[in-house]
Amino acid sequence: MHYKKITQLSLLLLTIFTLAACSSGDDAKAENENENELTYAMTKDIGDMNPHLYTGYMAAQGVVFETLVENTEEGIKPSLAESWDISENGKVYTFTLRDDVKFHDGEPFNAEAVKKNIDAVQENAEVHSWIQLSQKITETKVIDEYTVEINLSEAYYPTLSELSTTRPYTFLSPNDFKDGGTKNGVNGYNGTGPYILTEHKKEEAAVFEANEQYWNGVPDVKKVTSKVLPSGETTFLALKKGEINFLFTDDRGANSIDYESMEALEASGEYQVVRSKPMDTKLIAVNSSNEDSPIRETAVREAIWYAIDRKTISESILNGTEQPAGTLLSKNIPYADVDLKERGYDPEMAMELLDKAGWKLDEGSGVRTKEGNDLNVTFYYDSNAPAQKTQAEFIQDSLKNMGINLEIIGEDSTSIADRRKSGNYELLYTRTWGLAYDPESTISAFTDVSYNLHSTKGMKNSDELYKKIDEVMVTVDKEERQSLYDDILTMVHDEAVFIPITYGGMTVVAPENLENINFKQTQYELPFEEMAYREK
Amino acid sequence: MALYTIRRLAAVFPILIIISFLTFFLINLSPFNPAEILLQARGIPVITDDLILQTEEELGLNDPFIVQYFNWLMDCFQLNFGTSYVTGEPVWNEIKPAFINTLKLTVLSSFIIVGLSILLGVICAINEGKFIDKSVRSMSFVLIGMPSYWLASLMIWYFSVELDLLPTSGMSSAESYILPVSIITVSYVGIYFRVIRTSMLSNLNEDYVFYGRASGLPEKKITLHLLRNSLQVSISVFCMGIPTILGGTVVIENIFAWPGLGSLSVDSILKRDFPIIQTYVLLLGASFVVFNTLSDLINMTLNPKLRKGF
Repeated sequence: MHYKKITQLSLLLLTIFTLAACSSGDDAKAENENENELTYAMTKDIGDMNPHLYTGYMAAQGVVFETLVENTEEGIKPSLAESWDISENGKVYTFTLRDDVKFHDGEPFNAEAVKKNIDAVQENAEVHSWIQLSQKITETKVIDEYTVEINLSEAYYPTLSELSTTRPYTFLSPNDFKDGGTKNGVNGYNGTGPYILTEHKKEEAAVFEANEQYWNGVPDVKKVTSKVLPSGETTFLALKKGEINFLFTDDRGANSIDYESMEALEASGEYQVVRSKPMDTKLIAVNSSNEDSPIRETAVREAIWYAIDRKTISESILNGTEQPAGTLLSKNIPYADVDLKERGYDPEMAMELLDKAGWKLDEGSGVRTKEGNDLNVTFYYDSNAPAQKTQAEFIQDSLKNMGINLEIIGEDSTSIADRRKSGNYELLYTRTWGLAYDPESTISAFTDVSYNLHSTKGMKNSDELYKKIDEVMVTVDKEERQSLYDDILTMVHDEAVFIPITYGGMTVVAPENLENINFKQTQYELPFEEMAYREK
Repeated sequence: MALYTIRRLAAVFPILIIISFLTFFLINLSPFNPAEILLQARGIPVITDDLILQTEEELGLNDPFIVQYFNWLMDCFQLNFGTSYVTGEPVWNEIKPAFINTLKLTVLSSFIIVGLSILLGVICAINEGKFIDKSVRSMSFVLIGMPSYWLASLMIWYFSVELDLLPTSGMSSAESYILPVSIITVSYVGIYFRVIRTSMLSNLNEDYVFYGRASGLPEKKITLHLLRNSLQVSISVFCMGIPTILGGTVVIENIFAWPGLGSLSVDSILKRDFPIIQTYVLLLGASFVVFNTLSDLINMTLNPKLRKGF
């Protein structure tokens, strides 16, 4: 008899829940309207925030630590250094520091602190070899309390822009140094930036509170919390519930929720979606030095270029969040506004190029052949990035129509890095370094074995290219620099060793009443200190 | 009994040594250079050959394999599992908090699973073939059939977003346990209550039940006897269940942002943080051995017949 009761009770409960679900539709939003706070989700912990090493999360490091100068749309601007002077031979940089800056622990920011930090970075120079400046600094001198001098072994024009990157030339209170340096870890994370790291629960959350002594105006948003949410589904639900209220593209260029979810959030009226200008280029790096592969031929590379319908990728796969790319670097990158041959979507042109190069398509067979070899090409992409897989499949299908058999293989990012280094690939999905680092970082990576050396080595004029790259980094003359960049970009474009797909940027999901959502010159950071809630 | 206990415990060590060797050996089969992996894991943008040489020396990678293994094993005995490639912190400092977080989840779930399985198992067994038995069994089919990932999303949507009763994720309060524990419970109870039900049913046909009933024992008392006898199989199953849950919470931890062993292991595998992977496998292997031994010892206490011959 009492089983009947149990059954009845469960039915009753079920009914109550269902009714509750129907009625509670708009209760959720009323809650968490915490005026002066932002809580964002990211898929991993902020990590070790040591600003002189590379495991920390850049968006978090960016609000705590600052650089001498800042890279802005209008060029290099003062930050912790009020002004600077470059010697005639380009080898000595003298910085005049602001005298009103203090580290979060109260320690004054002065020439001595700058020297200690730069020395700490140089002590570990091998680790920073990606940034050419680290190989060129010979000495840092304290001139007086607020004047500091950096000496270089040779003139190096990107010095200021390299000093502006999130790491490594950022400043940590010398009280936090371990054994007089930072390379073996640090004891704290006291920077000079607009936010102070006040709480960190590893793998759970980190809290950043506004720095009330900040030299550049106290931020409006008083508290920024970074929460670890590895799964996109949960992130979406947490946004709906209001447990988090902010989201942005992570440092791998991936968004943790998909475009449909963003649209749904925007449509709810509680959130806005803001997109930046192009910041980097998603592209296919071609291993031109792969002797056994058909892609050593320029014609095949060009044919692949013509065969890709970027408009469809941009509109249908990426829902308009990224724009079709025609060149390796977008025109808004310094020195990259160069006249280059247009190569749009033109399947007929692709076929013609292949026919001319001797790759013939026999009746009945789907794959072109030349001297008994099939036109087989392999394409590697990052298996953890869902958008890459869809694009790879789309490209595979487009190339099939051209008679190119494209095999697509998804691997984790570490394996991709191994392939890039060993040259064990034909096509590889990759991207440029980004606005703050380009053109110099992407260009100097052409000569770097762990980056794109294998892509450029097979070019017929590669030696000339490398010579020009060496020159462009040290030339002090702006016009000469422009003309060298013109040549470099034209050479790699003509040989089609980097096949651009789309220009990417940052996407932000923010509360509808948040204003001043700006971007920096880098896709790795956001200026939270500028954001403010609109008065109601 | 004491002798048996000692023997069982002594057998644990060689097994652990074998596990440790296999772990170390398999990881070393990996074609990648650990020095390079370490540098990649630390996010160094450009890795030079000098840097690799320098790191190889620091890691002691120039020793022969067997020497490396013994060094590692000796360190393990002192609870020193090396340092993480990514963070440079001692492995134990990384694994311990994650292990404890997952253990909390596992222990809590296990208790509920055991309690609920016995309850449902007994109810179904004594009502074999009746409506309640059939409905519990079909319900469990439905629940096992649902992928826990999907079920978890659904439950977060319903209980956290729509009803606004529970947090979506994290482990900030006692309430945070409710959803993940329910999901784990749902996916295991469906299997375990069947074990109890089946073994109770097979016991029902035993002579002692027949004689018990014939001599007029109350039905409740007979059920208790039945339960005690059916528990033996269940204890082995449950004891194996705990390490299985311990190693199987990856999906749950991912969706509930639970900072536990599952997330740590997946993260370490993706970053090829070998010292952490090694220790994780060793830890999981050890917990299987320990719980297996434990279940033998419990059964031994419950059933004197098993002690014969020792």
